[in-house]
Amino acid sequence: MREEGVVTDYAIGGATAVLFYAEPTRTYDVDVFALLPSAGQSVLVSLAPVYRWAESLGFTVDAEHVLVHGVPVQILPAYNALVIDAIHTARVHEYQGIPVRVVDPEHLIALALQAGGARQRERAWLLLQTGIVDRPRLRALLDVHGIHVEIPADD
Amino acid sequence: MTDTVPTGVALLLARKREWHRLQAQRPLHEKVRILLELQRQELPLLARQRPLRPWEKPWDVTP
Repeated sequence: MREEGVVTDYAIGGATAVLFYAEPTRTYDVDVFALLPSAGQSVLVSLAPVYRWAESLGFTVDAEHVLVHGVPVQILPAYNALVIDAIHTARVHEYQGIPVRVVDPEHLIALALQAGGARQRERAWLLLQTGIVDRPRLRALLDVHGIHVEIPADD
Repeated sequence: MTDTVPTGVALLLARKREWHRLQAQRPLHEKVRILLELQRQELPLLARQRPLRPWEKPWDVTP
């Protein structure tokens, strides 16, 4: 997708990204944050080129999802500064021998707290409990993006 | 009644935290297997609460 210029860059986010760092939580789709080449030229960002590209490869587009080998994937255009930062700083992990860009745990927590809601808070808490979160980095991130949440000291 | 946590309970909570940490450290394919199982178990419960969205179904993948 990136090599063909459909997106400038991407990273897996949401509950599927959490899976790379924490215990599994229920999800039925894969969120992919994408920086689109057309972003910045227009207020409205069209995902049509992404869907056309997916269909050209034989994937089915169903409403807002692209079905990739039986898994619904939702492409989300980078919608704010935190998401753009999360894409830029994503980590490369491997799944079944394939490198994939995944949002790092600090940005996943910040995104969850920014989105708000019970399930998102639970996701943030799950990640905090793993012991892999760089808390000073997370606090700095929350501060930069104006997310006012107290992060407890490591236990 | 005080707000302190009795030693026995604190130990239980510490063990629980450790269990969560171990779950988080499982290999990715194992976590995907657990996720697929969660999807299969939860879907009928979700269907009883509200109409399912078209894409809410267990993934057809082998971890």
